[in-house]
Amino acid sequence: MLALRQAVTRRKIALLIILSLLPLGLAVILDSTAAEGGTLIGAVLGELVISVTLPITVMVLATGAFGNEVEDRTLSLLTTKPVPRWTIVLAKFAATVVVAAPLMAVVAAVITTMDPDGAGNAPLAAAIGVVVGVMAYASAFTWLGLLTTRALGFGLVYVLLWEALITRFLSGTHYLSIRSYIFGTAHGINDVFGEDLTIAMTPALVGAALVTVVFFLLTVRRLSRMDIQ
Amino acid sequence: MTTASAPAVEVQNVSKWYGSVVAVNEASFDIYPGVTGILGPNGAGKTTLLSMMCGLVKPSRGSVRVLGQEVQGNIALYRRIGVMLEHDVLYPFMTGRDFVRLAARLQGMNDEAAVDRAIHAANLEDAQHRPTGTYSRGMRQRIRLAGAVVHEPDVLILDEPLNGTDPRQRVEFGDFVARLSSQGKAILISSHILEEVESLADRILLVVSGKLAAAGDFHAIREKLDERPFQVRIGASKQREMAAALVALDAVESVSLVESGSIEVLTRNVAELQRMAPRLAQDIGSRLYRIEPLDDSLESVFSYVVQR
Repeated sequence: MLALRQAVTRRKIALLIILSLLPLGLAVILDSTAAEGGTLIGAVLGELVISVTLPITVMVLATGAFGNEVEDRTLSLLTTKPVPRWTIVLAKFAATVVVAAPLMAVVAAVITTMDPDGAGNAPLAAAIGVVVGVMAYASAFTWLGLLTTRALGFGLVYVLLWEALITRFLSGTHYLSIRSYIFGTAHGINDVFGEDLTIAMTPALVGAALVTVVFFLLTVRRLSRMDIQ
Repeated sequence: MTTASAPAVEVQNVSKWYGSVVAVNEASFDIYPGVTGILGPNGAGKTTLLSMMCGLVKPSRGSVRVLGQEVQGNIALYRRIGVMLEHDVLYPFMTGRDFVRLAARLQGMNDEAAVDRAIHAANLEDAQHRPTGTYSRGMRQRIRLAGAVVHEPDVLILDEPLNGTDPRQRVEFGDFVARLSSQGKAILISSHILEEVESLADRILLVVSGKLAAAGDFHAIREKLDERPFQVRIGASKQREMAAALVALDAVESVSLVESGSIEVLTRNVAELQRMAPRLAQDIGSRLYRIEPLDDSLESVFSYVVQR
């Protein structure tokens, strides 16, 4: 509860609302004006929501989960108590997922609904893919927030260079892309996401689980060994 | 409760460095039940030492044991340690009571009576339901103290606990610490103000530039401090006559005239000098402008002890 209260500050809420409304608004405009709205709405989901809005939303929440406590030195209030380090990390991770996952899942599902191809369980597929992505990003960015005070900067470089550029054009690297895991998972449920498919559902889920678990463990290790001032 | 014979905290050959900066250098000492003051100027390494005793900072070399156990990574040990660090940190959205309750729950306690006792000890019953963001500095210190003692720890580590408190709160804090001490608990209090620790601690550790300069009974160390000569500047007319009169005083070791037109006096008894200087000035018809100590900083006091 404490981690959740810390995650949801007014400034962050405002930023999350903007990041959510931006693709939704764009999708609504395209839906009402463009001749081939369906294709463009798909692009909003793939290029804007999944490639940019989702990782940045999670990054803002997750890097601050520990980063803010290191900065304002409240972390010692927790780490001088008989609380296993993994439970502290789990609380921070869960707070990010609880805030970001429903928000981004709803945005992805609504935009998919507007797409003429997004019939049947496509909105659900988009939402599940997004939740998988939120968990993987949340784990990685929580670790980054504990590792460096410049987590936002490094996170942006990672999202814009690695996720949005390199893994899309450099053969083989897509197996190491959370974006690919999102599309792979969604496609496994509904093949409307096949155009952007880079990997199948099973390796996508395994990859996302690995990223989530490995970075979770790295965060616990870091929290156990770092000097806390 | 700790036993009187066994040390509550054992620090053995501990050093801590950050890159090329040495924060603590080969410190060794034991801390027993009762009140121990860790005294030193700002930047001397007190907080680093305390952080190592709390397990928050890993020594670069040496070992720190609390209640007979290695503290680093020993999470279960925190049930027996209460910590209040120097940084004035709280969750501003929480009420004082919620903060103490959170501290209790993180200790595995669901005991509202313990929360009541801690808040009572901190004398914050009236303000307990207000958000801590609205607290004064002294109130913040006291609610943090309540959070540190709510689980009734055997070892209490308090870094600069009297920062921001007023004289009445200091007296209350002293009573509070004395009560805990009488229960056999080991209490460590750091401060950069000599007089703060003087009234609280039975034993002190003097830390200067990352080194343990002195350790032992407070009064023995205080005597050493009182023995040191003080440099005092006196501004007066008829400086030569005034200097000649001053050098005749028993309290004065030496006198020199400086270019600024003042007289610099080396004395082991500042009070006597302050009492006698106006009389001497009156006797020789000199006008006295000022009497000011030149080296009364804590650094110079500690440096003197280190040299001894």
